[in-house]
Amino acid sequence: MTLAIRSRPPGGAVARRRRLPGGAVTRRVAGHLVRGLVMIWVVATISFVIIREIPGDPVAGQYESLIQKGMSPEQAERAAAVLYGFLPTGSLWEQYVGYMGSLLHLDLGQSLSTPGVPVTTLIGAAARWTVLPVLAGTLLSFLLGVVMGVYAAIKRSGKLGDALALSGSLLHGVPVYVIGLLLTAIFATLWPIMPSGGPVEIEAVPGLNAGYVGSLVHHAVLPVVTYTLASYGGWILAMKSNVVAVLGDDFILAAELRGLRRGVVFRYLARNAILPLFTVLALSIGMLFGGSIFIEEIFNYPGLGLLLVNSISTRDYALMGGTFLVITVGIVVANIAADLLYTAIDPRVRSGGSA
Amino acid sequence: MTVIAGPGEAVVPRTAAGTTRATLRRNFWRGVWRVMRRKPSRMAGVAIIALFAVMGAFGPLLYPAHLPRDNGALYAPPSWAHPLGTDFEGTDVLALVITGARYVLLTGLATAVITVALGTAIGLFSGFRRGRWDTLLMRITDMNLAIPGLPLLLVLSTVWKFTSPLEMGLVLGLLGWGGVARAVRSQTLSLRERGFIEAARGLGLPTTHIIGRELLPGMAPYIAMNMLIAVTGAVYAQVGLFFLGVLPFDANNWGVMLNFAVFNGGALTTPAALPYLLAPLIAILLLTLGIVLLIDAMDEIFNPRLREE
Repeated sequence: MTLAIRSRPPGGAVARRRRLPGGAVTRRVAGHLVRGLVMIWVVATISFVIIREIPGDPVAGQYESLIQKGMSPEQAERAAAVLYGFLPTGSLWEQYVGYMGSLLHLDLGQSLSTPGVPVTTLIGAAARWTVLPVLAGTLLSFLLGVVMGVYAAIKRSGKLGDALALSGSLLHGVPVYVIGLLLTAIFATLWPIMPSGGPVEIEAVPGLNAGYVGSLVHHAVLPVVTYTLASYGGWILAMKSNVVAVLGDDFILAAELRGLRRGVVFRYLARNAILPLFTVLALSIGMLFGGSIFIEEIFNYPGLGLLLVNSISTRDYALMGGTFLVITVGIVVANIAADLLYTAIDPRVRSGGSA
Repeated sequence: MTVIAGPGEAVVPRTAAGTTRATLRRNFWRGVWRVMRRKPSRMAGVAIIALFAVMGAFGPLLYPAHLPRDNGALYAPPSWAHPLGTDFEGTDVLALVITGARYVLLTGLATAVITVALGTAIGLFSGFRRGRWDTLLMRITDMNLAIPGLPLLLVLSTVWKFTSPLEMGLVLGLLGWGGVARAVRSQTLSLRERGFIEAARGLGLPTTHIIGRELLPGMAPYIAMNMLIAVTGAVYAQVGLFFLGVLPFDANNWGVMLNFAVFNGGALTTPAALPYLLAPLIAILLLTLGIVLLIDAMDEIFNPRLREE
C-alpha cells in the first residue's frame, strides 16, 4: 500500500507530462508574457526619464507658468498632471509611481499642441492609418517573397535565380525611405499618375461612397507598395535559404523517388520551409513599425510615425512619450503573437518544451 | 627531407612554420582573386566601395570649405558646369554629395566599430562563461533587439543633440550590438564543443589564448560581414534622421539634402528640385549595391562550400 503510493506519483507524473505537453506550452506562454511586460515596463521607464530629464524640464516649466497665470499650486499641479499624466511635484520616485499608475489606467496625459485632447484619442485616430497599410504591405510582401523565394531556390544555379537573389539582397539592403522617395519621384513628380501625399483627396466626402473609397485606395497604393518592396527582400532571402536547406532533406528525395507529382513535392517543400518564417514575421512587423515613420513622413500619411515626428518638432512631450510607448507595445505584442503562433504550428516546439 | 608526423610531434617542423604561414597567406589571396574574377559584378562591388572610401577620405579636400553659390542658377538643371544641377542656393549638387560623404561614412565606421566590439565581447563572454552571466546578458540582448531603434532614436534626439559623427556613431553603436552578440554567442557555443577547443583547454592554455588564437580567427569572416552590415545600417539610420529633420543641421550631408529637397524644394510635386533629391538617393543606392556585391564575394571566400568549382 505505502509502496504503491510512494512509487506511483513520480512515474505517473512523467507519463502525464509526456502525453500532455500542455504544461510546456503554458510555461512558454507565461514566459513570453512576462518578458513582454518587462519590455513594456522598461520602455515606459525610458519615456518617463526622457520627459522628466529633458533640458528645461517641461513638466516643471508648465507648472511654473500655470502658477504665474494665477492658478493656485493645487490647481496648477492638477492641470500639469492632466497634461503629462503625472504630478510635477514630490520626489522623483513619487512622480514615477504616479506616472506608472496613470499608465495602468491607460491615461497618457493630454496633448499640448492640440490642447484639451487626450493623447490616447490622438493615438487611436492615428493607429488606423498605420495598422492597415502595414498589414496590407506585410501580407503582400510575404506572399510575393515566399513564392519568389521558392523559385530562386529551385533555379539557384541559373540566371533567373541569380537575378531574383540579387533583387532580394538589394531591396533588403536599401533603406525604406529611398524606395519611398524614388517611387514618389517617378510616379508623382515625373509621371504624375499617383497623388503625392495625404491619405485621401480633400474634396472627397467622407463616407461609404465610391469617390471617397476610391480616393482612399488611390492614395494608399504608393505607401503599400513601398511597405511591400521594403520587406519583400527579407522574405525572398529567408525563403530561399530555407528551401535550399529542405531540398537536401531525405523526405524530399523520397517523395521524388516515389514519383509524386511536382505540385505535391512543391507543397512538401513550401510547408517545411515556411515554418521558420513565422519568427521572421515578428521581426518584420517590428521593422515595419519603425519603417512606417519614414513612409508616413514621405506620403504625409497621418499614422503613428507622423504623430511621433510631429510631436517631436512641436515639443509635445506627453504626446511623444505616449506615441513612443504605443509603438513599442505594438511591436512587443506582435513579437509575442508570432512566437505563440509558432508554438501552435510547429510540433517540434510544442512537444519539446525547451523555451 | 620528408617529415612524418608521429603522435605528439608537430606536423610542420618549427623552422618551416614561418614559410608555411606565408604560403597559406599567398594561397588565400590567390583564392580571393579567383573568387573575385569569377563574377565581374564582384569587382564592380569592390570598385564602388573603393570610390566611396576615396570620397570620404579626400572628398572635402577637393572643394573649398564653403562651397561657392551661384544666385543666378537656383535649381539649375544638370549641365556641364553642374553635372547634377544645383540646389536652392545655386550650389553644385555633385559637390554636395561628394563632400557630404565624409560625415555619413565616418558615422558608419564609428558605429560599426562599436557594434562589433561590443557585440563580439558580449557574445564571446556569454557563450564562453555560460551560466548566470549568460542568462543575464542574453536578457539584456533580447531587450536591445526588441526595443525599436528608430522611434527610440527620434525620442532621444530631443535630449541629445548628436552633434559630431563620432557621437552619433556611439549612440547608434550602443543601440545596435544585439544582433552581433546573439550570433557570436551561438557561434561560440558551437565552437567550444569542438575538439580543438577541448584540446586547448585540456592543455591548460590561458583563456585569452583560447579566445584570441583559437575562437576568434574562425569567427573573423563572420564579424567582418557584420561590420559591413553595421556600416550600412548606420548610414541609413543617420541619413534618415537628418531627412526627418529632427536633428540640427550643422553640416552638409545626404540626409540634409533629402530634407531640403522634399520639404523646402517641393521635389515630390515639382520636377525642379528633382536632381537635388535624386543625387543622394542614387549615392545611397550605389553604396548598397557595392556592399551587397562585396558581401556576396566575402560569402564565397570565407565559405568554401559555396564555391562552384
